Amino acid sequence: MVNERGQLYTMEGVAAGVIMLLTAYIVVSTTSVYTAGDTHIPDMQLEQLGSDVLAMMDTPDTEGAESDLESFISASDGDGFKNAFLSHCNMVTSGPPDYLNMSANVTYRSGNNIKEYQFVEPPGDGSWTGRESAVRVTRWVQLDSQSSPSRPYGTRAQAVLVEVLLWRA
Amino acid sequence: MACMNEDGQWIVLMGLLVAVGMFFLALIINQSALVGQTTAEGVLEFPKNDIRDLREAVFDYVDASNTLTSEQHADIQKDIITISLERKNAVVSFSAGDPQDVSGRELHPVEIHYNNGVTVYNETVYY
Repeated sequence: MVNERGQLYTMEGVAAGVIMLLTAYIVVSTTSVYTAGDTHIPDMQLEQLGSDVLAMMDTPDTEGAESDLESFISASDGDGFKNAFLSHCNMVTSGPPDYLNMSANVTYRSGNNIKEYQFVEPPGDGSWTGRESAVRVTRWVQLDSQSSPSRPYGTRAQAVLVEVLLWRA
Repeated sequence: MACMNEDGQWIVLMGLLVAVGMFFLALIINQSALVGQTTAEGVLEFPKNDIRDLREAVFDYVDASNTLTSEQHADIQKDIITISLERKNAVVSFSAGDPQDVSGRELHPVEIHYNNGVTVYNETVYY
């Protein structure tokens, strides 16, 4: 004989089963803690920001004029470059300012060797640990030949690669 | 249980169902941070800015052909090709031909090839 008594006890059993399954799922899934940093979303945004800033600095005011980036590189004015870059990067429309840091290299070719010139050093205030999650953005800059030998990359007309490491501290 | 008061069982059960529903909603909020991961990684992987920058560098190189000697010009080409390989892991090749008449304007046919092992980009453009 089939009767319908005890339906609620059956439901209670089902509910208990669901709770146990959920508990088991939570216990198993806690072994891999996945943080927002693992998704690389902030990295992507930071890289786009850095690329945009470099592109903006490489845009001259008028057709054929020298861009800000070119003049900083050409004069090897690392401090000026750093200040301009960071002021563009940390600019926000509202709220507290962003805290981005950077260092930069200029890569150039000398004969058959590729050499690097440390253009902007990492901050020396102790905030630099070497373990920052930094993104790298780059930009080609073409320099005119220069008569005075003040430029560290050489005086010929050349193309150099500006590499900026950018991280949030 | 059998001898206990069994009033209000449905209310208890509904409370349980609501609790389970809230748990699932919380789970969805928790997972939402991961939704952009493949998007973000795809964007990081694809060298959009590298290719745009290379194009601009090549156009600058073509522009400079008027003011530089042919040795200086070839040096710049070698700069871009060797530094790309060394620092950006990208095999790059480009060349600019003599100007041709394109719709009444004298334009250089420029070929650009880029390959970083994941993304291949080829372009012929009149500049």
